[in-house]
Amino acid sequence: MRALREHGGLLLAAAVALLLPATLSSGTLATEVLVYSLAVLGCNLLLGYTGLLSFGQGIFFGMGSYAVGILMTRSGLPLPAAVLASMATGALVAAAVGWFAIRQRGTYFVMLTLAFAQLFYFLAYSLPQWTGGDNGLLDIPRPPLSLFGLAELPLDTPWRFYALVAVCFLAVFWLLERVTASVFGRTLLAIRENEARARAVGYDTRLFKLAAFALSGAVTALAGAFHALMTGIAPLSNIEYHASEMILVMTVIGGTGNLFASVLGAAFYVLASDWLSTLWPRWLMLLGLLLVAVSLYMHQGLWGLVQRGWRLAVRGRAGAAAREQA
Amino acid sequence: MSTAANEPILHAQGVVKRYGRFTALAGVDLRVVPGTVHSVIGPNGAGKTTLFHTLTGTVPVSEGRIVFAGHDVTREPDHVRVRRGIARSFQVTSLFANLPVRENLRLAVQGAHPQGAFDMWHAPGRQPAISELVDAILERLALQARAGVAAAALSHGQQRRLEVGMAIAARPKAIFLDEPTSGMGVDDLDAMKSLIRGLAEDHTVVLIEHNMGIVMDISDTVTVMQQGRVLVEGPPAAIRDDERVRAAYLGNMITGGRQ
Amino acid sequence: MNVYLLQVVNGVGIGMLYFLLAVGLSIIFGLLRFVNFAHGAFYLLGAYFCYQAVQWGMNFWLALVVVPPLVGALAWLAERLLLRRVYDQPHEFHILITVGLALVLQEAVILAWGPLGSNVATPESLQGVVMWGSFIYPKYRLFVIAFTAVFAVLLWWLLEGTRLGSAVRAGSESAEMVTLLGINVFRVFGLVFALGAGTAALAGVLAAPIRGVEPFMALEALGVAFVIVVVGGMGSFGGALAGGLLIGIVQSVMSTLWPEGARLMIYVAMAAVLLLRPHGLLGRG
Repeated sequence: MRALREHGGLLLAAAVALLLPATLSSGTLATEVLVYSLAVLGCNLLLGYTGLLSFGQGIFFGMGSYAVGILMTRSGLPLPAAVLASMATGALVAAAVGWFAIRQRGTYFVMLTLAFAQLFYFLAYSLPQWTGGDNGLLDIPRPPLSLFGLAELPLDTPWRFYALVAVCFLAVFWLLERVTASVFGRTLLAIRENEARARAVGYDTRLFKLAAFALSGAVTALAGAFHALMTGIAPLSNIEYHASEMILVMTVIGGTGNLFASVLGAAFYVLASDWLSTLWPRWLMLLGLLLVAVSLYMHQGLWGLVQRGWRLAVRGRAGAAAREQA
Repeated sequence: MSTAANEPILHAQGVVKRYGRFTALAGVDLRVVPGTVHSVIGPNGAGKTTLFHTLTGTVPVSEGRIVFAGHDVTREPDHVRVRRGIARSFQVTSLFANLPVRENLRLAVQGAHPQGAFDMWHAPGRQPAISELVDAILERLALQARAGVAAAALSHGQQRRLEVGMAIAARPKAIFLDEPTSGMGVDDLDAMKSLIRGLAEDHTVVLIEHNMGIVMDISDTVTVMQQGRVLVEGPPAAIRDDERVRAAYLGNMITGGRQ
Repeated sequence: MNVYLLQVVNGVGIGMLYFLLAVGLSIIFGLLRFVNFAHGAFYLLGAYFCYQAVQWGMNFWLALVVVPPLVGALAWLAERLLLRRVYDQPHEFHILITVGLALVLQEAVILAWGPLGSNVATPESLQGVVMWGSFIYPKYRLFVIAFTAVFAVLLWWLLEGTRLGSAVRAGSESAEMVTLLGINVFRVFGLVFALGAGTAALAGVLAAPIRGVEPFMALEALGVAFVIVVVGGMGSFGGALAGGLLIGIVQSVMSTLWPEGARLMIYVAMAAVLLLRPHGLLGRG
């Protein structure tokens, strides 16, 4: 039972990874769910665990896309190396941005992340030799995966690529579970809870925030890299304000209480957007309304709703059982 | 007891703190002898808490020098001073409100060795030394029964005790307690008094207090502050009879358990 | 005519519009202590309501007078119904609720007027140019500069010389104190929020004949407003003016030298100010 509690999130995540191929017909859509789950996990690490509201996640997402795009089209690096390199890029960029941003707190911090997001966007726009400018990087290949030179796994179809992403996603989820449950993770929570107290008992909170940024950057860049490989392009829009905004919105709607909530938030957004946008192009209005509702009534997001429903159901059954016994 | 031959464990010279155009501390000198209980008293607005902030590193000084245990700590921020052996409690309760009491203390104990907190792989609880210390402090604070409860759910008196516990957890050389009894009822006061007395056996205690009963009973030295300066300093009996102190407090009735 | 002089004058014109755009945001931050991410949406509504009014045959002048208070009223409603409920929440939710509001408003605009932009005709009396020696300049843009200057004076008088203004300034020092003095702080908040939105809408109306209307100008306006408020100083009227003019002129001049750099540079400025002097040029913080 204890193992279930400790790894409940991972089990749920695994369940989602298995359910998606069973319920969706599009491998690309399924991959998109997991890709954005990774991005939201990165954002949640900052918001839910460290208490940092970042409008700059698009920076790392976009950098991840660009890094993998540049490496796959211009260098001979195999896919795994390119992906790892983009994670490293994300971590470095996030550490740099974080180093500046955490010099301020509260609203000023938020606005700094916003300023950097815009900065990187215009930087990407004005360096077309690296980023393809308005057009983005095109024709990013997805060669077969070489397993230690013994076998080759083709990634040509959407579902085959999904399998790779799913394995990586679960590995990252598991790692993040460990990190958030670790001494480090608990220290982040303390910093979120009361930063002044954390400093007063001896923690250099800036270092911890920086580490959280680097970790977030790596995971978010991984998402960006997978996105670029999935679509074959690294567009400017991945680094645009809208990307940062949507990642944040998914994080809040899913809930900041635990890691699986991030998967919930991403899945909700990706699937709703896919389904609703054909029915009603202005579906973002509903998302806006949902965000307002979350801010007013549902601070724990969708996960909070699920928890509340679960508790009501359990109590209802317990009540019924008690009544039966009486 | 203190003798003139003892090297002070804390020596603050000419500490000035300005906030914009407002001068909170106008040049404070303080010498704290190790192993003693040194109280800082004074009317509201005297700068006592600001002085604490500069001594513990919560805020930087505008001017002046602070030497602790032989090290010049003037430029060091609070989290570094913890490793020097300085720990504090806050006047306004500042705990990890939504975390359990035990976790509050674990964090405080770990904080004295913060490098260990970068462990991203292992969950806390693998170091018996830490758990043992947490248990010992829980016992000392008489909070064992409430160990698993969120700090916010404790009674005010229990929270104030936990505040002190957070300082003890760092195994400091000097503990700075800022109005530990503030807002406490009569029942909790005695427990806090004996807690502070017990602390004095292993630590140097620097205390801000409005409760004269405690100050006069347990202090070795009393420093009286007024308007950002030291007015007078000496043993409790001398302070009690000092005319200047009487004048400073005129109109300011200091009673125990205030606020 | 000297091309740089032209750009500087353009910059002043843009700068005055930027001031209008930013002053509301700055005041809202100064009093309510939160950043209104829906600010760009109010600018957008101002522009689109103006467009619609003109489509219906309304006179531009009438639109100028009617539209900003209308948007202000909508904002007042939003404050009353939604924002008031999150004041005692952590600042994240202030931001998020206004982000949600912004999304709703932007999508509503696209719903009503479609995703493509439109032009708004310059009012007849202000078409054409003014000639003064070798100085040739569009009449409408001169009007914008003059009008916003007059409006700025009125606004300044409102903030410095009236009871409402004193309440606003006092409220930004201590909302608690103001309540104790018997002033209904919440009513003041609502009015301030409406005022802020109204000035943004006014900027939208004035900008419409110059830039046309287009749904994504909300995001652009929001970004620029943030930069000006940060550079000028959050909560400062003078800061919004100084910041607006500074950014407007620099951006205008840069656009002849290095167009892409112009946009990049204002965000570098924003980041630099936040890092080195977070209270901006004239802010109190």
